[in-house]
Amino acid sequence: MIVQATNVSRVFPMPAGPVTAVHDLTLTIAQGEHTAIRGPSGCGKSTLLHMLGCVDAPTSGTLLFDGQDIAALSDRERSLLRLNHIGFVFQRFFLLPMLTAAENVELPQSEAGVERETRRRRSRELLDYVGLGPRADHRPSQLSGGEMQRVAIARALANRPRLLLADEPTGELDEATGQQIAALLDRVNADGTALVIVTHDHALAERATRVLTMKDGRIERETRR
Amino acid sequence: MRALAFAWRSLVRQPARATLGILGVAAVGALLFDMLLLSQGLVRSMRDLLERQDFDVRVTATEALPGTGPVIDDAVAVVATIKALPSVREAVAFRIEDLSIDRAGRRRVRGFLQGVGRGAVQPWTLLRGGNPQGPRELVLDEDGAREAGVAVGSSITIRASCSAERDALPPVTFRVSGIAAFPFDGPDDVTAATTDDGLATACGEREAGMADMILVTAAGDPAAAAADIAAARPDLRAFTNEQMIGRIEQGGFTYFRQISTVLTTVTVSFALLLITVLLTVSVNQRLGEIAALRALGFSRARVVADVFSESVLIVGIGGALSLPLGFALAEGLDRILKRMPGIPEPLHFFVFQPEALAVHATLLVVTAVAAALYPMRIVARLPIAATLRDEVIS
Repeated sequence: MIVQATNVSRVFPMPAGPVTAVHDLTLTIAQGEHTAIRGPSGCGKSTLLHMLGCVDAPTSGTLLFDGQDIAALSDRERSLLRLNHIGFVFQRFFLLPMLTAAENVELPQSEAGVERETRRRRSRELLDYVGLGPRADHRPSQLSGGEMQRVAIARALANRPRLLLADEPTGELDEATGQQIAALLDRVNADGTALVIVTHDHALAERATRVLTMKDGRIERETRR
Repeated sequence: MRALAFAWRSLVRQPARATLGILGVAAVGALLFDMLLLSQGLVRSMRDLLERQDFDVRVTATEALPGTGPVIDDAVAVVATIKALPSVREAVAFRIEDLSIDRAGRRRVRGFLQGVGRGAVQPWTLLRGGNPQGPRELVLDEDGAREAGVAVGSSITIRASCSAERDALPPVTFRVSGIAAFPFDGPDDVTAATTDDGLATACGEREAGMADMILVTAAGDPAAAAADIAAARPDLRAFTNEQMIGRIEQGGFTYFRQISTVLTTVTVSFALLLITVLLTVSVNQRLGEIAALRALGFSRARVVADVFSESVLIVGIGGALSLPLGFALAEGLDRILKRMPGIPEPLHFFVFQPEALAVHATLLVVTAVAAALYPMRIVARLPIAATLRDEVIS
C-alpha cells in the first residue's frame, strides 16, 4: 500500500464560514494501481489529490504514505518525500520557460542530488520515452500543448516515483492530443507506477481500473474494472 | 541546477526586467559610491595637503581657523620662544594680505601676498629661481608670473592692502627671485610670497610683528611639540595636523558629511525599493511555477534561495557596474565643485579610499538581503495547494 487515508477531512476557513472540501474520506492507493477521480467542479477532487500528494494536510483523520504519518513529517521531510516518491502532472504544465525540455526534466533530479551525467542520460531516456527525444533542446515556447504535457510527464517521472498524480492532465489539450497523453499515462502505469488522475474527461477516466466519483467532498461511488 | 545558476536563467528569461534592475542598481550604486567618496574626500584631501607640507604644528591666537580669527601680535617673540623648545626643529611666522600687481596699460592683477619668516622650510614649492632673501624680493606663482608678464629676475610693482594699515599704501617694486607653487592656491589665484621683512616693506613696519599663525616643524612627535608650545605659551593654541583636520571638520566640512549621509540613505532606500518591487513582481508572476516546483519536491529553502540569488545577481552586477560609473561621475562632480572660489587646486571633494569601497560593498550586500526579504517571505509562505488551485481557476 502506498497511500492509506483514514477518515480524512479538509476544511477551509472562509469569511462566510468554514467550507468542508473533503469530508471524512477513507481511501487506499495500492502499488501499480490506476485510479481516476471524477466529479463536478468543487466536489473536492483536487483537494483530495493534493492531500494524497502531501502538498496539503488533512484537517482531521490520518494519512499514511508508505506507512509514514504525513502529519508527523516536517515541511522539509515532506518535500523530500514528494521529490523521491511522488510525481505531479498539472493541467497547466508549469514548465519553466527559460529551460529546455531536457533541463526541465533534469530539474527534480538536480534537486535530488543526482550526478550531472546520470541525470542528463536519464532526461534523454525519459524524453525518448515520451516521444520527444528530438525536441530535448527546445524550450517550452517552441513546443505544442501536447508536447509540453509530455515533457511535464517526463519531469514527473524523473526521480522514478512510486505514485504519479495528474490533475486534469488533458484539460488544456484538444481531444486528439488528450488521447495521446492518456495513452502515455497508461504506459507509465503499465510500467509499474501507481497513477491517480483527477479529470472531467470521461474517456480518460474510463481508462482507469478504478474510478472514484466524488460529490460534496465524499466518494459517492467506486467502480473497479 | 544550483540556485545561482537557476536565478541567472530567471534573469535572462526576462531581459527587460533584469536590465532595468541592473541599470537601476548601477545608477544608484554609482551615486552611493560618490556619496561615500564625498563624505571623507575633502577631509582626506585636506589632510594630504597639510601633510605634504613640512609643517607638523600650527599655532594660532585662538581656536578660530587661521585667517578667520585674531592675529598673533608678538610674532617675533613667539617664534623665538617656540624655536627654543627642544621638541621643535623649525618655526616661521606666517601672514597673508591682499595684493594687486601693476601692469603697464592693463588692469591690475589681484591676489594674495604671504609674508613668511626666514627658515629652513617654506610653505611653498620652488619651481624655478630661488627663495626671497632680502626685503625687496618675492616668489610668485605661475599664474601671477604669466598675468604680470614677468620671469625670474624681473622687477614687479605691487600694492599691498594690509589690515594693520588703513591708509592706501604706495606701490613697491620687488625683484622676482623665483617661481613657486603654493599648495593652497585656487585654480586662478595669484599668490606671491616674501620674507617678513618684505611684508614690512609692502605693508609698513606695524605689520612686521604680526602673524596669522606660526608654522612649526617638530623635531620628533608633533603632539609632544604641540604640548610643549601650549605649555610655553598658554595664551596661544597649538594644533597638530590631525587636530587641525578635526577643527576644519567641525568648521564646515561636516556639511559634506551630513549631505553625504542623507543622500546615501536616500540612494540605498531607492535601491532597496527598486529591487524589492522588481523581485516581488517577478515572484508574483511565477507563483504557479514556484508552487509546482514545491509540489515536485523542491524544498522551501531552495525556492527561497532562488529568489535571494536573483537579488544577489541584480545587486552584484549592478554594483560592479556602479564602480566605473561612480568614478566617472565623481570626476565630473569634482570638477564642478572645484569651480567654487577659494578652493585650492590640489584639494578634491571626491577622494578614493579603500574603506569607501568596503562600505559600498557592505551597503549593497545589505541592500540585496533586505530587498529580497519580502519576496522571499512570499515564496516561503506560499501555500502550494491553494496556489495551484488559484492558478487553474485564474
